[in-house]
Amino acid sequence: MKHLRYATALVVALALGVTGCGRDEGGSGSGGQPAGKEIAAGKAKGEITVWAMGAEGEKLTELAADFSKENPEAKVNVTAFPFDAAHDKIATAIAGRQTPDVSMMGTTWMGEFAKTGAIDSTPTGLFDKSKFFEGAWNTTVVDGTSYGVPWYVETRLIFHRKDLAAKAGLQKPTTWQHFTEFANGMKDKGGAKWGAYLQPGGTGSWQSFMPFAWQAGADIMQDGKFTLDTPEMQKALEYYASFFKQGLSPTQLAPGAMETGFVKGEIGAFVSGPWHMGILREQGGAAIEGKWDVAQMPREKAGTSFIGGSDLVVFKDSKNRDAAWKFVQFLTTPAAQQKLYDLVGSLPSVQESWQSGKLADDPFLQAFGEQLKDAKSAPAIATWEQVADVIDDGIERVVRGVSDPATATKEMQAKASSIGTGS
Amino acid sequence: MASATAQRPARTGGNRGARVRRREGIAGWGFALPFLLVFAVFMAGPVLASFAMSFTDLRSADLRDPLGVNPIGLDNYVKLFGDDTFRQAALNTAYFVVVGIPLTMVLGLAAAVGLDAGITRFRTFFRVGYYLPVVTSIVAIAVVWRLLLEPESGIVNTLLGYLGIDGPNWLTDTRTAMPALIVMAAWRNMGFLMVIFLAGLQAIPRDLYEAAAMDGSNAWSRFRHVTLPMMRPTLLFGGVITGIGYLQFFEEPFVMTQGGPLDKTLSVAFYIYNQFGFGNYSYAAAISYVLFIAILVLTLVQFRLLRSKT
Amino acid sequence: MTTPVQTPAPAPTPAHRRPATSAPEARGHLWVYAVLAGGLVLLVGPFLWMLLGSFKPDAELRQVPPTWLPASPTTDNYRQLFTQLDFPQFFFNSTVVALAITVGNLVFCSMLGYALAKLQFPGKRVVFALVLGMLMVPGMVTFVPLFMLVSQLGMVNSYPGLILPWLAQPFGVFLMRQFILGLPDDLIHAARVDGAGEFRIFTRVILPLCGPALATLGILQFLATWNNFLWPLVVAQSEEKYTLPVALALYAIGENSTRYGLLMAGSVATILPILLIFVLLQRYFVQGIAMTGLK
Repeated sequence: MKHLRYATALVVALALGVTGCGRDEGGSGSGGQPAGKEIAAGKAKGEITVWAMGAEGEKLTELAADFSKENPEAKVNVTAFPFDAAHDKIATAIAGRQTPDVSMMGTTWMGEFAKTGAIDSTPTGLFDKSKFFEGAWNTTVVDGTSYGVPWYVETRLIFHRKDLAAKAGLQKPTTWQHFTEFANGMKDKGGAKWGAYLQPGGTGSWQSFMPFAWQAGADIMQDGKFTLDTPEMQKALEYYASFFKQGLSPTQLAPGAMETGFVKGEIGAFVSGPWHMGILREQGGAAIEGKWDVAQMPREKAGTSFIGGSDLVVFKDSKNRDAAWKFVQFLTTPAAQQKLYDLVGSLPSVQESWQSGKLADDPFLQAFGEQLKDAKSAPAIATWEQVADVIDDGIERVVRGVSDPATATKEMQAKASSIGTGS
Repeated sequence: MASATAQRPARTGGNRGARVRRREGIAGWGFALPFLLVFAVFMAGPVLASFAMSFTDLRSADLRDPLGVNPIGLDNYVKLFGDDTFRQAALNTAYFVVVGIPLTMVLGLAAAVGLDAGITRFRTFFRVGYYLPVVTSIVAIAVVWRLLLEPESGIVNTLLGYLGIDGPNWLTDTRTAMPALIVMAAWRNMGFLMVIFLAGLQAIPRDLYEAAAMDGSNAWSRFRHVTLPMMRPTLLFGGVITGIGYLQFFEEPFVMTQGGPLDKTLSVAFYIYNQFGFGNYSYAAAISYVLFIAILVLTLVQFRLLRSKT
Repeated sequence: MTTPVQTPAPAPTPAHRRPATSAPEARGHLWVYAVLAGGLVLLVGPFLWMLLGSFKPDAELRQVPPTWLPASPTTDNYRQLFTQLDFPQFFFNSTVVALAITVGNLVFCSMLGYALAKLQFPGKRVVFALVLGMLMVPGMVTFVPLFMLVSQLGMVNSYPGLILPWLAQPFGVFLMRQFILGLPDDLIHAARVDGAGEFRIFTRVILPLCGPALATLGILQFLATWNNFLWPLVVAQSEEKYTLPVALALYAIGENSTRYGLLMAGSVATILPILLIFVLLQRYFVQGIAMTGLK
């Protein structure tokens, strides 16, 4: 009955507009600054609820079992759900104050959810940020405070057909100019229908495009303001679109067609992340074994790539906060990170994990490890998903020839500025 | 809306005492209350709250403190009119509705007429078959249709290939994406209209047809002069129900195209969903109420169109 | 929506089966059969293809040109479906939720529908307008407030949280009212004269006559609930509360989005129970629609 009254009051208050005073400005309280050392010391106890998405979510239980061996009095309950549903689910959970103790969190959502005040700031002294890839750690930082730790990472490289490149007499591309020549060579001499596939727009195409922008010296923001209409950004967009104009990349491709095209040798190269190693091995099988390779991103002013992946956060409302952080700490130990790689192929966020085991032996993985040292992420602002949508849209318009780069960048800047950063 | 109630002749005659009326009043509310209680808490309440929300700047960042937002009056509604993407979504939705409703209705009516007049065998079989898409979860439908429309290995383009036509990449081509979704929606919903129309057809007295046949009119003229006029209320109902559903067109783009390519299949409802996803809750609420107005207007227009002529 | 133009002369038995020997029939409308069968192929074909596809391995599904019949039939997809997912549990959840919501709507909507159709009470028109107006509010918009409410009531990840918000749907009221309007008033007057109480009149006189309408509402409501996706996805926070579409979506939009065989098997398993119910009840369904003035 009490609940019901609360709900009615809420409805009435909103309906009457008795909202009055506006937001409580002022930083998320530093009152509960946790002492990381204390957490690190004891054993974890009690129940820890964890939300995780995708393949990692499905296999997390196995990692949790190892944790329970070390902490017999702790019980970890894992809930796994699809990535696409995660954003709304977390948002509604925060609204209803029904958050779990720990959740996996897309790196690009950190800004938005940290702003709700629902996420616990990272305890000082519990993690050594220099052990993580710098680009990855930066995804946890919102307005100067860290709200979690990176769990696994990914970055983008140039996948290409080694055999076709050899046939065409091509070396791995190192600069923008080389990359264009490389794609042309793949097409003209290598026999591929498409020289190099780039994502032609649609959700998430900013992740394919932004590396080129960073390489050109552009950036999304500077000093808290969007910089989407700089000459550098324009240049990057022009370069990106040139692949479509020259017929090196298709403007439309059905889902799944890129992989089959690559396996058949119709697509000479594409830019993507580590998960494509597994997909190629599974779908290509023996047919293309040893016939493909990965190359670092080409250099213009820089050779930067994109860094993505997931972070782990602890919610403020957690009833078992210390144990929750303890579990997060466990998941970022090299042993647990290597095991995660064994289970689902996710790349560790802690650099130390790369120095032994399979990760150290595999030349493909080492290439990813190398690129991760020069990789950037999206700015941790509350409105990022919406700004990303604007960039996706701009890319698609230029690629399809609806806009020219100059107009598109101007529009992107105008739209992003009107959306703001949400702070 | 409530005109049906208004038109019914008042039943309160002098012969019925005040006591009876009071007893009926109490009974009426007694029967209404259980529904209204649940309804007030779980529907009307949230609707009111979201209406109020549309006049504030509530974002996902305020979720833990929803009362701490600023009232901003009509700003969300004003913003809407300068929003290019919203305009695009509104146009797309209009396109979908204007083409989709007649298409679905014609298909549903054709199937119903065929089942009603043409055949005696396998009626149940046909009826269940035609209704199958209606009972199927959108998730399952999306799985099949994505495979059907696959440009290389899909059945549609394979069949077109036999005819020597090089089929497009249906879902990523700006010209074909929306038509593909319209056909899919018509495919999915015609079964429901068929059942409703079938019921309407069966209620038409047989003698009307016989009289018309004796006057020497052919099948087409019987359809035009007997079936259609008699079916007007049923068509109205079908049009209204389809219209309400189609204006909230969401699931098809959600599972098939994500609103692309170039926002060509972005509907208003999908835009609401996106804004919701971006955490712009108050803006999403404002768009919802604009959509509500559109639904109301379309319903009234259909009443005008289909009702006045008799 | 109210179709105020009630068919003036209430068709006595609108769902009557017409004698199968009417004159035009004799000419053997073969072409009608042909057209209808063509339509049937278009409507059911995709499902057949799905059914066949669920027995194909993934590689075959990706093949160009596609195969019709499985070249190397396999039940692996179904086996995986049942080993990787707790299918019986999802099935149970879907059934419980759909049944509860259906029964709730049948009870609440028939009561209010009766009151709106046959009883005079103050505020009646307002109630009716309110209920119908709600039919037009886009569902998405109440999502956040509704979830806040449900979590305040402590019902997240519970059956009540999945069920309660949907117990009273305006569509059912509209449908029941239309049907009951068509029942003769005399029945009620006679019962009153006999001294029956109002509730007794409802349960003993009205409800027994509402069979087809209740069947129609029941089927429609059950279908809608069974296929409902967004709400259970948000409210069911752990696997033991997932419904079938949510579990299926786990695969449809998750990492397995290219595992077409598995997806098809999952889709078949989701459709089958609902199809069975529809086939069993479809006769009442059409009858109900005919008699509710849903036309």
